[in-house]
This record gives sequence, C-alpha cells and structure tokens, in this order.
Amino acid sequence: MLEKFITFLLSRPAWLRSLIPQKGVVGHLWHGYWNAGPNFLNWLQDRWKKMDLFDESFTEEAKTNPWYALGGMWYWVWILVLVSGFLLMIYYIPVTDQAFQSIERIQYNWKWGSIPIGAILRGIHKYGADSFIILATMRVYRIWFTGSYKQGHELTFIVALLILIVGMYSGLTGYLLIWNQRALWATKVMATFPLYLDQNPTWIPGGAFINATNQGKTTAQILLGGTSIGPATVTRFYSFHFMLSFLLMIFFELRVYNRSLKRMNISHWTKFIIFSIILLVTIFIPAAFGSPANPEVTPNPILSDWYFLAMYHMLKLQEPYLATVLTVGIPFLVVGALFLDRRPEKAWGQRLIFNWIGIGGFIYWIVFSFLIINSIADLHRDAPLWYYSMGLFLLIGYFLDWKYVMKRDNVRWYQTFHIFFVGFILIAMSANTLFHYFGNIREWNILAKPMMLDMLAQNPALTQDQAYDILETTKPTLNLWKTPATAVLDGKPLGMEFWKIHVIGWLAIIVLGTVIGLHRWAKKRDLAAEAALAKSKPKTAGA
Amino acid sequence: MDDNTRRTLLKILTTLPIIGASLLAVHALLRYFRPTLAGGVKALMAPPDEVPSSPQIAATLGDLTKPWDFKEFIYVRTSVEYSALKTQGAKIPGFVVRLPDAVPGVDPKDPKTWFVVVQRICPHLGCTFNFIPNREELFGGYNFAAPNPFHPYFACPCHLSVYDPTRSSKISGTVKGVAFDELPGKVVSGPAPRPPRTMSFDIVDSKILITDTEGGGIG
Repeated sequence: MLEKFITFLLSRPAWLRSLIPQKGVVGHLWHGYWNAGPNFLNWLQDRWKKMDLFDESFTEEAKTNPWYALGGMWYWVWILVLVSGFLLMIYYIPVTDQAFQSIERIQYNWKWGSIPIGAILRGIHKYGADSFIILATMRVYRIWFTGSYKQGHELTFIVALLILIVGMYSGLTGYLLIWNQRALWATKVMATFPLYLDQNPTWIPGGAFINATNQGKTTAQILLGGTSIGPATVTRFYSFHFMLSFLLMIFFELRVYNRSLKRMNISHWTKFIIFSIILLVTIFIPAAFGSPANPEVTPNPILSDWYFLAMYHMLKLQEPYLATVLTVGIPFLVVGALFLDRRPEKAWGQRLIFNWIGIGGFIYWIVFSFLIINSIADLHRDAPLWYYSMGLFLLIGYFLDWKYVMKRDNVRWYQTFHIFFVGFILIAMSANTLFHYFGNIREWNILAKPMMLDMLAQNPALTQDQAYDILETTKPTLNLWKTPATAVLDGKPLGMEFWKIHVIGWLAIIVLGTVIGLHRWAKKRDLAAEAALAKSKPKTAGA
Repeated sequence: MDDNTRRTLLKILTTLPIIGASLLAVHALLRYFRPTLAGGVKALMAPPDEVPSSPQIAATLGDLTKPWDFKEFIYVRTSVEYSALKTQGAKIPGFVVRLPDAVPGVDPKDPKTWFVVVQRICPHLGCTFNFIPNREELFGGYNFAAPNPFHPYFACPCHLSVYDPTRSSKISGTVKGVAFDELPGKVVSGPAPRPPRTMSFDIVDSKILITDTEGGGIG
C-alpha cells in the first residue's frame, strides 16, 4: 500500500523527468533523483531478505570457526539475561528510597541452604548483560573485518550495530535501577547530553529553527520523565529496560518462526559452558553495589560502566557541542564508512583502509578507557595528539590500500592516487596543529601565566583579573580563535592568514573533489549505457 | 496513469485524513512520554512549565564572615512532573561564597555584592561540582594549575571543568524575569561552555534568601 503510494507520487511528473536526457552529471543526478524511491525500496527489500540477525546463515562455519558462533552465543546470553531479569523483577522495588535496599535484600536474603540464589540471579543478570555487550561488539567487529556486509548484507551490519547500541542503552537504564552513585551520575550526563542539541550554531542552515523547537529539552525530559532525576525516572527506566529487551526478542522470535530458522548455531555443550563461565564469575566476583545515590555529592573520580568509559573520556577533551554531535554521530559515521567501501574484495589485505578504521576505533576505545580508569588526562595537551593520531591512522590505512590497488591493477602510482582524500586529511592535521598549539589550548598553563605574573611585577596596582583582561586584548596569540572579535592587534588577529589558507584549502579540495568525482562517475555511467546500447543493436550483415 | 484521475483524487482524499490522524496520535503519544507539558500543540515545542518556588534560606550572614567562607545548600525547585501530586520538587544544590573585598565589583557597603551564589549543577553535563580551596587538589584532581596569587575555585570531578568565582563572563539570560548579561564563574579550564547557572537572592534580616533559579539544567 505504502509502496504503491510512493511509486504513484514519484511517477506523476513523467514529463518533468524527460525534460533532461539521462546523460552527463546533471542528467544522471536528475534521473537518479526521480528513481530514488523505487530504487531505495528495492534495495531495502533485498537487504531485508538477506539480513542475518544472529549468524543463522553461518551454521556450517560456526562448527569450525568460533567467530561465526558469536551470534548464537549472544542470543543464548540474551535469553539468560531475560530469564534472570524476570526473576529479579519479583523482588525489585522501583522507588527511589527503596530500590537500593531491595537489591541488597535480593543479594543477601534469598538463599537455598548456604547457596545465595538471589545473588546468583543478580550476578547472571549483570555479567550476562556484560557478556551480551562483549559478544555484540565482537560480532560487529567480525562483520566489519571480514567484510561480510558486502554484496547486499549492509542491513546485517546496521542491525548488529543497532543491537549493540540498544544493549548499551539497556545497560544504562538497567544500572540506574540499582540507584547507586555511579548510575545517578551516568544518567545525569546522559540526560544533559541532548540539551546541547538545542545549541546548534545559527550559521548551520535551519540551526535557529531546530533550536527554537526545543527538541533537545524534549528528548531529555522524555528520557527522565521530568526536569530532574527522581521517582519518575526510575519507573520510566524500569519500563524501557524491560521493554527494549523483550520487544526485540519477540521480533527476533517471529522471524525465527516465520522462516523456520535454527535459533542458535551452537551446541548444547557450548550453551552449558557459557552458562558455567557466567555462573563461575558470579560466584567468585559477586556483582557490586556501589554506594547509594546522593545527588548532593559527586565522587571524584566518578566513572560510568565500562563500555561508556572511552566516550566519557572523549567528553573531557572537546567542546561540549562538538562532543555531543560526535557521540551521537559515531554510529552514523560508521554506517557512512560502510557505504564508502564499494569494492567487492573481502580479504584482509585487500581493504586495508577499512581495517585500519576498525583497528583505530578499537585502540581508541582501549586507550581512552585505560586513561580514564587511571585518571590520566591533561586537557591542555592531549586533544591535539588524539586528533593528529586519527589522521595518521587514516593515512596509514590509505597508503597500504593504495599499494594494494597499484599491484592489483598493475598501474603507475599517479593513476590511482586519491589526492583529494590525502590532501583533505593533511590540511585537517595541519589546521589541528595550528589551532591547538597557537590557539586557546596553551592560554592558561603555558603562555599566559608567566606573562600575567610579569605584568603584575611591573605594575603592582593591577589585579590579576585586570592583567588577564589586558593580556586577552593585547596578545591575541593567547586566545586566537575563541575570541577573534576582541583579540585584535592592528585590526586583525595574528595568525589569521594561516587559518584562512587552511579554510581555502579545505573549500578548494571539497569543491574540486566533488566536481571531478561527479564527472568521472557520470562518464562511467555514460560509457556503460553506450556499451549496453551497442550490444543490443542487431549486427547488420556485411557492414 | 493520467486517465485514472478519479482514483487518484480518491486516494489522496482518503490518505490525507489518515496522515492527519496519525500525526495527532503521535502528538498524544509524545505528550504521554513528556510529562512536563501543560497542554496544546504549542506546548510541545515550548520549554517546561516552571511552577514558582518559594524563597528559601541559603545561609545567614553570620555563617560567612571571612573572605572565602562558603556554604552548601539545597534549593528545592518545584516543576510540573509525573507524580501523584502532579508537581515534583527537584533538589538544586547551590554554593554561596563570600568574596574578599579586593575583588572588583565588591562594595564593602552593599552586602549583596559580597556573595557569589551559583547552582552547583555543572553546566557542562550536569554533575555536582565542588569548591576547592586547595592548590594541590586542584592541580592533582582537576588538572588545573592555578595562577598566583592563589584563591579557591569551583571544579567539577566529572570532566574537570574549573570555574573562577572572581571573574565573570558575558552571557545573557533571565532569572525571576530579570535579565542579566554577565555571570560570575568564568570557565578557566575544561570543556564547560558557560559559567554555572545562577540564582537570584535577597538579603533579608541578615539572611541570604534564594528567590529563584535560572532554568535549563537537569536537577
């Protein structure tokens, strides 16, 4: 019905479509636009058919290669978590002043002889959820590194990523229910996050309109059930926590039923071993409580659950708006990168740039988590190093990939070199250096402090505040990019020329790269159309 | 397809009400999920309704006699929320800090200028920040090397934002209907985008009385 309606809407202006012949950049874009609806629907239907939710199409591989059994394993862990969750619901009380105690009672009161049933159930739920996230992450990485999202399996990867995100959100809503300090502050950070989506810069088209709709505030209030974390939040999180897991499970089960799939591609022994591992961890490391939530004291240091640690560290290093947009944008960036990988090759050595994106992501995740756990952060020094290394990762991946392509096609280096891509990254790295080492990062610790002390020594009548104000207006190098309006010397900020060169470089690369790329794309399509036409023409005898 | 105009018309005529009805249903659902709404389509895009809260005592002048004396307090702000009472009190922690007379803007004759009153909710991501009177703690725990001469700072343990109570930065907003264009607590380190949210206060019978809070944060 919907499909018919969309096709109907799109096929209306047939005469409009034929205004421009299907040739050249404009022609191909024009016709591509008119065909977009049906094409997208076809694309989606095909992907929907091929979608693989829990490695059910790798039953044979799973017998020999544990990487293909990951889907079955996390489905099993998911069932364990659901069942233990149902049992915990019997005694859990979703009220702020009773939640923590109710969990203490679950942990200590319900025993069978000397066996603490309550504690074991809670441990299975907690460690099961942790293993769910570990397995879902490993599965995302497996799909990424083996390139098995190619040839029509894009939706498999996107759904695997969504499952991971939903799992993390389930974790977040779940650990607030304990109502301990860690949960409270993690929830606070998570709920304050969307508020920055109301602070879009107004130079973004539509930015002012988006800000006026207050959608960030609305999101935060929908998440919290009000303007603060309280009883309403707990009941809401309780509902979301249960709903997400259970509704998704129903959807998965329906698919299994409709297609008569094998639910888990692992043996009963594997299931037993997984259950035993979780049980052993539960017995030897009882699930922790933390201390009861207290909105008046933030402990220092305060950490979130382990899978959010890296992002938590990232938030320290940048402006909050950028950090919010980046955090929300990471999944979209990953999916975007997936669609950039157009080549059919799946082998490790033949798609190195995408492998390096994956490796880079993993390294950042590990290193950031390590840094925040050990509370190592120098906000005034670290950020540029991280940006810089991200550029390096991309370049390493690119050059390795380039080497492979040269060998594969047996061509000279300049025939395959992506000058616009490399140029863009080099300019971005250079701009990053300029921004941070001559810009605001060094203001307080390195350059400004001795200067301010000098000024105070020369003129004891000044207060420290006045000295800083004078410095800010007379030494624009101290605060170059943050306050270009006030930081002026001879009418313009020092170093602005360098910055302008970078901006021109960026714009030139984007415009040139897009124009040239589009032309090559259209030319390829024209040649293909001509070849198809030549093939379909009947050969005239004797010609 | 051009000969089927009658069918087309009928299709459009039936589809439009369906779309309209689903929009209304979505709106109702959104209102169900967002309990701070008073009502109406307009309110969907409006900030939450603030219920006026009563003035509450933060400290007495006797508590804060010396420079850099400070006091923590809790201001209970009521807002429309889901609960049996239809409103809910959100605890807003606050700091009141006595500034030294040497700080610009402090007038020894006007007691209202002696104090900095802020909400302790970090404007970065909502953690409760601390008052750090100790240089070593500020350097070790909050990654901020304070300049000389030293004075205490506000610092947040979550993402290490540090605020200077003696300096102010330009920011516009309103509290209790009165517009302001600058606030104390300039950000001197860390990712916070603005100084801490403010509270309006009066000094009555040598008591510091909080009259209202700037909205926007998560309590």
